[in-house]
Amino acid sequence: MAPRVVVIGLASDFGCQVQMTNIEDHLLDVLGLIDLTYWQLASSGHLPAEYDVAIVEGAVTTEAHVEALRRVRETAGAVIAVGACAITGGIPAIASAGELADRYGCVYGEGGAEVACGRIAPMPVTAVIDVDYRVPGCPLDTDEFLRVLSRALQGLSGRIPEEPLCAACKTRENICFHDRGELCLGLVTRTGCGAKCVSLGRACTGCRGIAADANLDAAYALLASRGIPAEEFTRRLSLYNTLEEGCDR
Amino acid sequence: MTASTTYRQLKANPYRPWPARITSIVDLTEKEKLIEMRLIDEAAREAFSFDAGQFVEVSLFGVGEAPISISSAPSKQGFIELCVRRAGDVTSALHQKQCGDIIGIRGPFGRGFPFPEMKGHDVLLVAGGLGIAPLKSLINHIHDDRHDFGNVTILYGAKNPSEILFRQQFDMWKHREDFELIMTVDQPDETWDDEVGLVTKLFDRIDVDPARTYGAICGPPVMYRYVIDEMRKKEMDADRIYVSFERRMKCGIGKCGHCGVGHQYACIDGPVFNYWEAMNLQEAI
Amino acid sequence: MFFRVMDKARIADLVRGLSTEYEVIGPVAKGERFTFSVIEDPADLRLDFDTTILPPKKFFFPPEERMMRFRVADNEVVDDEAFASPRVLFGLHPCDINALLLMDNVFLGEFEDPYYKAYRDATLLVGVSCSPRETCFCNAWDTDEVHWGFDIFLTDLGDRYFVSVRSVMGAELLDRHVETSPITAEDTAEFQAVVREFKRAFPAKLDTSQLPLLLDAKFDDPVWDELGERCLSCGACSMVCPTCYCFDVRDDLDPDQRSGERKRVWDSCQFSEFSAVAHGQTFRESRASRVKYRYYHKQWGYLSKFERVLCVGCGRCTHACLADISPREVVTALVEGSEAR
Repeated sequence: MAPRVVVIGLASDFGCQVQMTNIEDHLLDVLGLIDLTYWQLASSGHLPAEYDVAIVEGAVTTEAHVEALRRVRETAGAVIAVGACAITGGIPAIASAGELADRYGCVYGEGGAEVACGRIAPMPVTAVIDVDYRVPGCPLDTDEFLRVLSRALQGLSGRIPEEPLCAACKTRENICFHDRGELCLGLVTRTGCGAKCVSLGRACTGCRGIAADANLDAAYALLASRGIPAEEFTRRLSLYNTLEEGCDR
Repeated sequence: MTASTTYRQLKANPYRPWPARITSIVDLTEKEKLIEMRLIDEAAREAFSFDAGQFVEVSLFGVGEAPISISSAPSKQGFIELCVRRAGDVTSALHQKQCGDIIGIRGPFGRGFPFPEMKGHDVLLVAGGLGIAPLKSLINHIHDDRHDFGNVTILYGAKNPSEILFRQQFDMWKHREDFELIMTVDQPDETWDDEVGLVTKLFDRIDVDPARTYGAICGPPVMYRYVIDEMRKKEMDADRIYVSFERRMKCGIGKCGHCGVGHQYACIDGPVFNYWEAMNLQEAI
Repeated sequence: MFFRVMDKARIADLVRGLSTEYEVIGPVAKGERFTFSVIEDPADLRLDFDTTILPPKKFFFPPEERMMRFRVADNEVVDDEAFASPRVLFGLHPCDINALLLMDNVFLGEFEDPYYKAYRDATLLVGVSCSPRETCFCNAWDTDEVHWGFDIFLTDLGDRYFVSVRSVMGAELLDRHVETSPITAEDTAEFQAVVREFKRAFPAKLDTSQLPLLLDAKFDDPVWDELGERCLSCGACSMVCPTCYCFDVRDDLDPDQRSGERKRVWDSCQFSEFSAVAHGQTFRESRASRVKYRYYHKQWGYLSKFERVLCVGCGRCTHACLADISPREVVTALVEGSEAR
């Protein structure tokens, strides 16, 4: 029997699910291997009671999300967290800094507190439940998603690259942003994206999270010596990594 | 004939695994299986000869490769026996395989125990846990050439009785005159009537003639220093004490760099080193 | 070896001529840096380049390379052919040619690597002289000169090249595609003057006295901890190094999961996972131990096998390291003591 797969979206812009539809070339191959019983973005049905693999996108922003995730963890044999929101809290997690009600007030004006009712400080899926596989990035990389899904279907371990991006960037022979005195977050950001942004001429924004191997202390020190103050580095990191350890100086 | 000349003679790509058919699977413990296989290609099977202590790369396409020591004796040709602990993706997938399934094998690789040199001497073998696998190859090789050796002593330690590997064989050997075998466990159960404690404790029970004894040690990394200390206390020469190292390996042929230990590579310079060599390998022991 | 002189303007003839038979690769500008790339127009070839971001190793040992295609069902190799089309690599500095000779020891020695060999056999090498930059220290390892390992070597004499021809193939191609003339005593004298000036132009020569021994004797030197604190563990040094050859191997399944490819990708000893075994133990856990291993292997591990150090002093890692860790600094710290830095 083909593994039953569900795709669930929490707080996000559904960009990762849109990326999944962009697999076009291979979507039918992949669909042939699984029984896609629920896809929030593409189906109108309800989440079934039983399934084998849950793909979860988005950050946790309500108590209901927390409850839903606990049920997902109990039901699914394997959980795959996809996208920055689910893995580092991503952009939604910016709101976790400071008083939550004030944030809603900023956006919705008076009555913001009412909107905020039932909402909690945004956090990643990984802060609520253990996940077996992770596909980081904003949005996810379709090749990596296919590789991770393949590993999940084979029952292999969930490996995620833990090195900073610079090595991969070097293999693309990009001109280093730091050579021009510009800040690029690749020096501490988890690799695996093939340095796409830098290759297209944009500095890394850190969407894949902080690499486990990253040396943040050294990065802060060397950037300071190159005239980039700690506050600026922190500000840039906080776009996707507000909740990551060591990004708060 | 070394493995590299075998590859050259067969004009074989050293990265290309030879298909091998699994001919037998025995569950040893909850974590370990004894898997026996035969290379399907006749030329490769003929060319495949090895020393105790050498390893093969087991290849499962789609999953990857893992280096595993050969546990069968070099004196038994035609098949390869591996003792496989479920630890990573490859070994877990290997545990799912059935008799008759085809897997890939590359090798044999590395430098094993110096069997010809050991002949005519006493041998003291010390194993901890899964470390018994490569030593079993050496023990059985000695067994098949028993008249060429003096006293043969085997000290084997495991966490608990259920983790003792090859128990049937060893239980039989305990009563043999030509091998002295002492087993110990950290956590005994009610059935256990042998020693309790670390394998180093067993050194009190044995006599060693340092002038005519070779040592062979294999086990978890933490064990080496203590066992070597015991052997040195028995005044055994550093270059007659052999240890086998486990390191991360990808290629098995001295190229990918992962198994660097000090200034050497475990895959081609080892995995078996004598203690004098190992002492000169930084961060090895 | 025989020698010719060639008018500098003729280089376009040579490139155009070679292009009829080979893919011609050489240094071209990329922003303010250079890369070895396919030459579409001879005018793009920049033999006045300083250095390239990646060394020529990418053409012999690509950053990501298919080793074989396989079928999952019966665990069978479908295709492991190594294929390389004929090409000429133009503009290798002596360090880069020497680096290839060092790579050859690994890939063409025991257990010959069929993929590397196919690329190596299919590629002709045209070297070119250079002038040392402040990051260069090839003279410390005697890799500032190259005596073999090339087909043709061009030494810049200003308006013309002093052409050293090492191989039959090099001689034939030169003969076929470009007008050259025999050397005169003046040409040779000028060649010598250029070489003397080249040697003089280096920054102070790096003291490498007893380096392999010192790596052991000072294995616990605090310098490694200092370097470990600074190192980003980004692996950029390994990628841009012309002699780093470590790789990881991974299997990627096709979307239908029935077949796939076994690939190798460049790896670095600076990553913590590099030495991790299946049950989780990592043999070089600390950043300091990983930085140290890079030097330990290059200056002693490789030397113990092949009697050469695994560094050619090209300076690429010095440029690539955001933390400003350079072999010059590390070697000096070991040889002269930390105070000397």
